[in-house]
Amino acid sequence: MIALQHYLVVSAALFSLGMLGILTRRNAVNVLMGVELVLNSANLNLVAFSRFGPGNLQGQLFAVFVIVIAAAEVAVALAIVLTLYRLRRTPNLDDADILRG
Amino acid sequence: MGSLQDVLTSVSRFGPELILTGALLLVVVVDSTGVAWRNGVNRVLTVAGLLLALVRCAELRGVSAEIFGGMAVVDPVAVFFKALLIGASLLVVLAFTFRNSRELHGLGQGEFYALLLAVTLSNVLMAAANDLAMLYLALEMVSITSYVMVAYMKGDRMSNEASLKYILFGAVSTGAMLYGLSLLYGLTGTTSLPAIRDFLAAGISESNRFAVYAIALLVFAGFGFKTASVPFHFWCPDVYQGAPTPVTAFLSVAPKAAGFAIMMRFFYQGLAVPRTDPWDLAGTIDWVRVLMLISVLTMTVGNVAALTQTNMKRLLAYSSIAHAGYIMMGVVALSQNGAQSLMIYLLAYLVMNLGAFLVVTVVHLHEGTFDLRDYPGLYRRAPFLTVAMAVFLLSLMGIPPLVGFMGKLYVFAAVVERGPSYYWYAAVGAVNAAIAAFYYARVLKTMIIDAAPVEKPRLRLAFADAAWVGVLVLANVLPLLWWGRIDGWARASLSLYAGR
Amino acid sequence: MSAEAVIFYVFAAITVLSGAVVVLARSLIYSAFALLFTFFGVAGLYVLLGADFLAATQLLIYVGGILVLLLFGVMLTHKLYDLDLRSEVTQFLPGLIVAAGLFAILTATVVRTHWAGGAGRPPAATTAEIGRLFMSQYLLPFEAASILLLVALMGAAMIVRRKKEA
Repeated sequence: MIALQHYLVVSAALFSLGMLGILTRRNAVNVLMGVELVLNSANLNLVAFSRFGPGNLQGQLFAVFVIVIAAAEVAVALAIVLTLYRLRRTPNLDDADILRG
Repeated sequence: MGSLQDVLTSVSRFGPELILTGALLLVVVVDSTGVAWRNGVNRVLTVAGLLLALVRCAELRGVSAEIFGGMAVVDPVAVFFKALLIGASLLVVLAFTFRNSRELHGLGQGEFYALLLAVTLSNVLMAAANDLAMLYLALEMVSITSYVMVAYMKGDRMSNEASLKYILFGAVSTGAMLYGLSLLYGLTGTTSLPAIRDFLAAGISESNRFAVYAIALLVFAGFGFKTASVPFHFWCPDVYQGAPTPVTAFLSVAPKAAGFAIMMRFFYQGLAVPRTDPWDLAGTIDWVRVLMLISVLTMTVGNVAALTQTNMKRLLAYSSIAHAGYIMMGVVALSQNGAQSLMIYLLAYLVMNLGAFLVVTVVHLHEGTFDLRDYPGLYRRAPFLTVAMAVFLLSLMGIPPLVGFMGKLYVFAAVVERGPSYYWYAAVGAVNAAIAAFYYARVLKTMIIDAAPVEKPRLRLAFADAAWVGVLVLANVLPLLWWGRIDGWARASLSLYAGR
Repeated sequence: MSAEAVIFYVFAAITVLSGAVVVLARSLIYSAFALLFTFFGVAGLYVLLGADFLAATQLLIYVGGILVLLLFGVMLTHKLYDLDLRSEVTQFLPGLIVAAGLFAILTATVVRTHWAGGAGRPPAATTAEIGRLFMSQYLLPFEAASILLLVALMGAAMIVRRKKEA
């Protein structure tokens, strides 16, 4: 019998994997992929709670908006990465070092 | 809920947002025509739209209700923040123009005005959000429009790097926040903030306590990012330095204020019981201690890091991080006075910070530099500007009788009146204010006392620049005269919509 | 094991294993295609949870939109004839420890907590209901999201455009 906890553990795994990608990757596009994993894990949570909780659709609707926001975010992020590449010929984060603390 | 009747009533209370949306769409259409005079028209449209929206905010006084099926709320606190946020945008549009900002020279104007209107609309929606979905949507709207504004100087490497750091950091923080919000939905079974509050006020069982802590921490990732609090402040200096200065000035006041609005609403309304004063945590978790720690770290990191900065934009960035720490004192105080002090500090912070950034912009326009080491001798060359900068810096320091002092007075008073256990916290705040005085004074000393290595001619300011600097100086000095009314307005705005 | 359990484990495995490939693969193209499988796995889990509209939306937007955009990003940021699409990894061990710790804490939290109970929502068609909700209770976020998309579109186009302004 598949219960709520099964889905939550899967989403926790996705969240952790996403964070791993964000923390260890140098390429901006890879970091973006990590972010997408995190957003998907949250969405999975929302849909699972919608299914096993009081039975309202609020979780699913929230998830639809998250998908929309993710699309807008990726569009802007890639526009910025593309410009970075044009100016510097590399999408690597470590090479973005003009701004120093 | 959700019926046509509800929608019609909601629309009648949605005036400011509708005006902003209308202005935004008009600006986009006008800009797409490609006519030669479209820039002037767009500027007029933007200013008119913001003014009208501000006026409509006044009509919403005294209303306290949910609108649009519980997605947003109109209450005195929301109206106060709407006025503050729209006012901030209006000041930025009027004082910083494409003429006096060297960085924006030659760039497209229509998109800038459209983005500004969009970010204002998003800020306003964020301050009034009553549901988790709306909260997240509004927060991301503010973030995404800000990313684009920071990337505006697309040919400039620093601007591009800044926007990349901003968007990646922001996406990660808001992603973590979203995970926390999803867990909150699972815990309470609803996404509506009043219902969440009722659920939590009924008590949290022992097995759920850890989950609530984890949720609060994750959600704070998003709030901390928006208000640039430690440890989510790392993007701030780079982004402030790389973005065009008008955008930096705007980011330092408006999204930060909106972030505090939503933090206040979430923690006061969601995780506390507003039936007594001071407000009671009533079985919910003790987030006050954690916020206190974060506030102390934020102030200290901001002030200490600012001591060694020579780039004016970075210095002001660290300064605004420190001020976020002071503003958080109002949240920590968890009382009517605490909420009022937060709102007053934000008002004061708006005029002091914008003033400082305006002076930096004007100096950059004439001198082409943001480096403090190029500032010596400015007193001889631009006495009016230097005196104005002195007013703004003294206000930031918290020297009476300027408006910055009033802000600090209120937050310190709100914290101290909570009792002896809060005294150490107020003491840390005071020490920080003293540390901050060092670097503000250093800027003043450089401008006034230090002699320039080479004698240069006097700066001739454009009338508009001088006028707006003057207006902001007055805004820092005069409020003391009308303090009763300002205090009264803030106090009257203090009622949070309490739920169905 | 019931059919539901088998399907769940299959999709869960697809999702988590592809996620691992996304994060660990050396080549960007491998990561991108693994991400494709992750999205598919999540869509399958949505169907299992009775969210049919959401599963379709996931495939259309995530796979059909976002993933394609990411692939464009990957392709356009490398020289055309240079197939060395490698991506470097920095400081892997600390990151791994943090991620593993996160997973442990989250799993413990998730299993111990009493989530909001209730009747639950047995899988049924959701599209009509969601459509109704968009037009009634969720009207404001719906309209706000459309403004967001307009502004994001405009902003992204503005950033990338090369034409000099007057």
